[in-house]
Amino acid sequence: MKDAIIIGAGHNGLVAGLQLAKAGRSVTILERAGDVGGLCAASTLHPGYRVPGLLHDCSGVRHDVAHALGLARFGLVFEPQPTPVLAAHSQHRGALLHADARASHAELEALQRGDGDAYVAWRGFLTRIQGFVARVMNQPPPAIRPRSLAEAWGLARTVLGLRRLGKADMLELMRVAPMSAADWLEESFADPLLAAALAAPAVTGAFLGPRGAGTAANVLLYECARGPEVRGGPAALCEALRSAFEAAGGRIQLEAEVSEILVERGAVAGVRLAQGSTLDAPLVVATCDPRRALLELLGPGLLPLSVEEQVDCVRMRGTTAKVNLALDGRLVFRDRDGERHARAVVADHVDDIERAFDAAKYRRCSEQPHLDVSVPSVADASLAPEGKDVVSILAHFAPHDREGGWDEAARAAFGASVVDALERVAPGTKDRIVASEVLSPADIERRYGVSGGHIGHGEHALDQLLFMRPTRALAQYATPIRGLYLGGSGSHPGGGVTCRPGHLAAQAILGS
Amino acid sequence: MADTYDAIVVGGGHNGLTCAAYLARAGRKVLVLERRPILGGATVSEQIYPGFTFSSCSYVVSLLRPRIIRDLELSKHGLEILPLDWTLSPFEDGESLLRGPDPEMNRRNIARFSPRDAERYPRFGQAMGELSRLIKPIIEMPTPEPSKLDLGTILSVLRLARRFRGLDEDAIAAQLKMLTMSAVDFLGEWFESDRVIAPMSVSGIIGTFLGVRSPGTAYVLLHHYMGEIDGAFRAWGLQKGGTGQVALAIARSARAHGAEIRTDSPVASILMQGDEARGVVLENGDELRARVVISAADPRRTFLGLVGEERLEEGFAKQIKRFKLRGSSGKVNLALDSLPEFGGYPADSPVLRGGDITIAPSVDYLERAYDDAKYGRFSRRPCMDCVIPSLTDPSVAPPGKHVMSVFVQYAPYHLKEGPADWENQREAFGDAVIDTLEQFAPGLKNRILHRHVLTPWDLEQTYGLTEGNIFHGELSLEQLAFMRPAAGWARYRTPIRKLWFCGSGAHPGGGIMATPGQLCAETLLRSRTV
Repeated sequence: MKDAIIIGAGHNGLVAGLQLAKAGRSVTILERAGDVGGLCAASTLHPGYRVPGLLHDCSGVRHDVAHALGLARFGLVFEPQPTPVLAAHSQHRGALLHADARASHAELEALQRGDGDAYVAWRGFLTRIQGFVARVMNQPPPAIRPRSLAEAWGLARTVLGLRRLGKADMLELMRVAPMSAADWLEESFADPLLAAALAAPAVTGAFLGPRGAGTAANVLLYECARGPEVRGGPAALCEALRSAFEAAGGRIQLEAEVSEILVERGAVAGVRLAQGSTLDAPLVVATCDPRRALLELLGPGLLPLSVEEQVDCVRMRGTTAKVNLALDGRLVFRDRDGERHARAVVADHVDDIERAFDAAKYRRCSEQPHLDVSVPSVADASLAPEGKDVVSILAHFAPHDREGGWDEAARAAFGASVVDALERVAPGTKDRIVASEVLSPADIERRYGVSGGHIGHGEHALDQLLFMRPTRALAQYATPIRGLYLGGSGSHPGGGVTCRPGHLAAQAILGS
Repeated sequence: MADTYDAIVVGGGHNGLTCAAYLARAGRKVLVLERRPILGGATVSEQIYPGFTFSSCSYVVSLLRPRIIRDLELSKHGLEILPLDWTLSPFEDGESLLRGPDPEMNRRNIARFSPRDAERYPRFGQAMGELSRLIKPIIEMPTPEPSKLDLGTILSVLRLARRFRGLDEDAIAAQLKMLTMSAVDFLGEWFESDRVIAPMSVSGIIGTFLGVRSPGTAYVLLHHYMGEIDGAFRAWGLQKGGTGQVALAIARSARAHGAEIRTDSPVASILMQGDEARGVVLENGDELRARVVISAADPRRTFLGLVGEERLEEGFAKQIKRFKLRGSSGKVNLALDSLPEFGGYPADSPVLRGGDITIAPSVDYLERAYDDAKYGRFSRRPCMDCVIPSLTDPSVAPPGKHVMSVFVQYAPYHLKEGPADWENQREAFGDAVIDTLEQFAPGLKNRILHRHVLTPWDLEQTYGLTEGNIFHGELSLEQLAFMRPAAGWARYRTPIRKLWFCGSGAHPGGGIMATPGQLCAETLLRSRTV
């Protein structure tokens, strides 16, 4: 008999498990795959080439979490600076966007007079509101209707924090958050490339284009959470988490797929594995997506009907495909010979991203996809043979419900449009490809077990954030089944590699 | 020189007239100045072709607040609203969905597409009714200002809080979802059939530069359930004699209370003395003085046009400049020799007489229409809302003939070739509308006697609506409540002393509500400035 079972050894499962283990609980993590990491698990693409997992951005993991979990002792190191992002362009050399805006000032002024200043001002606003936004996202979601003094105090502190920003920044934050990313960014910058590049986080995990209202909030949340990368990326993060968890006495069972969450008299009793055996535990933390946890793993009729209906309404339409490339040489962006860039976003204009999204509405793939490119071999040369690069691309939009389904031909066609899009900003890349793989949302659903192939376990839209994530009744990590908790990206503060959902779920368990 | 008037109102649309009527009713000496030869602004009816009365812009009435109708005794002055009870939505394959006041008929009609949706339809109506009852007090009072913690704000927040006290979290969450979701996603939580969702989603986009899948459109759906005529919950109605009669009724009430109203009196600028508004300068050079000036024009025209950017503080000017007014809709008014069948219903059917016809055959159709607009083209196959007022009110057309009003979306003000190119594209736009309609009402084309096409460019040039925006500013979340028209200036005062603001660009926004005019007058009277 265990104290606790965690479903899923992704970064959130490992974090939740680690925290419970450190608190003295006896914890077993069950993972369906053959390795830990979930969406973060690295793999070999081609002899000599290692690719990161589905997610390649660890900039949302903050020092306080790493510190609280004592991860430094297990080899976790942060890069000294946030990684600059190349705004790649199909006609010219684009612009390199540093988190420290002054470092980009000259290049942006050269691109378009005034945009250097505009970028400094834009970053300045983000820096001023960052503390407030980060605090909201790093705490359990505020209760709309506080039931205890502590909850009321939490809500009051949030409101006070907002007012403490000062009148101008407070009003600006309230004005910007519900806007479309395109409206906000086009109002801020004269050059269309800047708006296009900074709009990238707006559409990640959303079923919206940058002209969709509320997408500015996605940009705000991403930028306010962003900091230096974890050295070695998501795989290194998970490796540190695994070591720390095992050192704390935790146990990981691989190739152990959970087929059912067992409930007795309204309380969780354990899980049944796909192989047929059962494991008993009075506490189960499901870090898989909420739909899978509550509608598939839980038997029918165990949840109140209203909760079941709400979960059924959680929108998680996957639109992201993953393309990994092994290159026989370096990835060189247009007019940037000899430069190495670890991150790039590919779109000349926000309308290009919007058009790419339009296709998804009609259940088609974008003809000219929008790319979020990571070149992990820039930071970690061991991932590819010497002098060569491995490239990881999150490509939008490839709808999970593509008309005609996802067969080999569809996958190959989308992969080809992704390579074409990359070729436009990095000429010569196509000829250097020695191996490639394309994961459609259908593949992602199959391989990682996420409903709808949605990498964030639920779309990032205003009505699916904070105390509405995944639904109002489930927003505080507990479920109506005693002892059953949610702790994956489907919970506040959401998808991406932040480790917060797992962290906050464990806090909720230990606090109760 | 002594002030001639207590207040001068710039603009004789429904808000300017309402503001004037309330001030006159309180004994103030008021002058309304209207640029055009007729009153009403966008609430206007005109005989563009002899014998045919077109309600050129606004064509249905639903949101006019009952309190204003009572206070200004509008029924006595000619307000008479004929209810519109039916909505007919034809589809491209010849099928159609008819919804109306008879629950059994609705159930039957919807069940043809989805029995589950048919069962949920009445529950949906109830839920929306409850939600709109909660929203209503918000649009009936001046907005709270979070940046100012004065007594007024604290009291209004407490009043609101009291309303929400009895609610459970689910109801509060539902409100928040309404504010942030798209119409299609919201309806998708209730219904499964595209043929139910698409026609119902249309009311979420009217007048917005958004598609039915854009977040924020769910909230606009609520307005459909907020409509009140004579205090009764009913959605939409037609004013007898044309929408312009609503403005004329308000004008008669204002005059009865002693207000002076002049047409053909375009205002060139606000007359300033130091940092204070002292009156107006007319285009003919006349100066008229008053203790306060109230603008019912849109925010852009008011502050950048009538006041002038050089007189504005930089931060405020920036806010007004980025206030979004992108017009997205056009209007085609038709004079018809006779009526064709519509979606399979003959012209004399009571369905057409008491209702509107929505061309919204599928969600994808609506999104494609929106995609055109996003990239600077009018919709090749637009979304439309048609009414045939002459069926209910024969006074608007010669005997046997008809007028038909077609509200069209999308017609973006900012064409790819620039807004002035509407001069070249106007007729092509009209053709796209008629060709699309012909598909749902075969034979329509041959019965057209006259066609009057209004593009957003025309709405700006003729009716003074900047960028052709029918609401004086988009009704998007960041432009509502304490942000409308600018943060810190949402309670009808402006940064210019003695200049007040009462148009649809003020809280709670556009539509023939007349609330901005009323709340501005009441706030002004309470301030004891006049």
